[in-house]
Amino acid sequence: MKHYILIRIKTTSKTSLLLKLNKLNVEINNIIYEKNYLKCQILAKDLKRLKKYLISYEVEIIDETGFYKIKKELKRNSLIITSIIFATIIFLILSNIIVKINIIHENSYLRDLIKNALEEKGVTRLGFKKSYDEYEKIITSIKEEYKDLIEWLEIDVEGMIINVRVEERIINDYTKDYNTCHIIANKSGIIKSITTKIGVTEVSVNDYVNKGDILINGSIKLNDEVKANVCASGSVYAEVWYNIKASIPLLEEKSYDTGKMRFNIMVKKGANETIILKSRINTTKRVENIYLFKIFGYEFYLQKEYEIKSKTYTYTESEGTSKAIKLIREKLALKLDNFESVLEEKVLQKEVKNNNIYIDMFVAVKEQIGVKEYFKESRSDTNDESNNEYIN
Amino acid sequence: MHIKKILQNFLYDQEYFISLFQNSLHIYNYEELLILSETYIEIKLDKFIICIDGLNLTIVSMDKRELLIKGTINNLRLKR
Repeated sequence: MKHYILIRIKTTSKTSLLLKLNKLNVEINNIIYEKNYLKCQILAKDLKRLKKYLISYEVEIIDETGFYKIKKELKRNSLIITSIIFATIIFLILSNIIVKINIIHENSYLRDLIKNALEEKGVTRLGFKKSYDEYEKIITSIKEEYKDLIEWLEIDVEGMIINVRVEERIINDYTKDYNTCHIIANKSGIIKSITTKIGVTEVSVNDYVNKGDILINGSIKLNDEVKANVCASGSVYAEVWYNIKASIPLLEEKSYDTGKMRFNIMVKKGANETIILKSRINTTKRVENIYLFKIFGYEFYLQKEYEIKSKTYTYTESEGTSKAIKLIREKLALKLDNFESVLEEKVLQKEVKNNNIYIDMFVAVKEQIGVKEYFKESRSDTNDESNNEYIN
Repeated sequence: MHIKKILQNFLYDQEYFISLFQNSLHIYNYEELLILSETYIEIKLDKFIICIDGLNLTIVSMDKRELLIKGTINNLRLKR
């Protein structure tokens, strides 16, 4: 690479200077004519020769060119450049250093555990920060290592501080023991029949029991000492009472055929139905479709149109009452799964108001009330309804 | 690049060449710059002297073999 320099030569006669330069066989480029000066680019190696032969001229180096100019500038600003590089390195180092690790959880044991685990993985105070993927790997490995203690773990980097959010895994030590259970009452009532297969019967027929009372005990005791725990089995029927209210309208609109019938043709494609002929029954009608044939996806039906008329029917009070009682029985049958039979029913209150009949009725039914309640031997007093299970 | 080298070899193989452009004149393989002024330049080549008449004639670049003159060239003569 040729090293050119930009020089300035003081002269009043540029032509004679150029002739002299020409005689010296010096390579000169980019000659610029200025007042009293001649600016040009020469090879750095020619400068010495130039100065030697042009003694009477003032030769001044103005600048370097190309790569040497950059080199010169770098050298001139070396202190600033070094400072910037140094500051950048310091900044990069500092911004990648962990100053503080905050483990956010109230349990000090868990905090220490996480702190130690992080230190093992290289996440320490005054250590270097890691990449997102590395943190993900650390989270996975810690969660795997302490899967019984940690439910959820998150590492959040906020500048030079690392916040570790942790959620403790709470394992309920209550474990269902499906080998030991009582039969308890899920409703209050009077016992009507008990069939015990396994366990100790705690109640007798005609006893009144409250909801939650043990009917068949799974703990077999002798002199107040538990000898064995079993899963009680059996069925307990009791008389259970319900107060049911119902209301029905006394007026009912009933439709009947007048006997008038007209034919029509109906075409069906998919869900679209089209009537071909104009309907000759203009009042309310009931239709009956008779399938004829199908062609190109179109189904043809013969439609029978029946003229219907409606008539309002008014029930008597006794008719309304019996209808309401029927409705109550249907409701009861739908509501009760373990219903066996109706023991007693009585209308408590009856009222006719605004063409409606309102009935308040008492019903006593014979119903299976025994449900299983699982218990742990050490926690036989547990009354957890969520663990109840109906016996069928 | 290959074509460029061929052309360069062909051109620079000559004893001399003079290229005249719009406002400049390039002379290759000159021997000596004899006279230099803003209106007149005389350059010695191997077998003749080239005389340039013009206005604002200036030398832009020169080395021991090549010369580039800029300015308005009005007349170009060869003296043998």
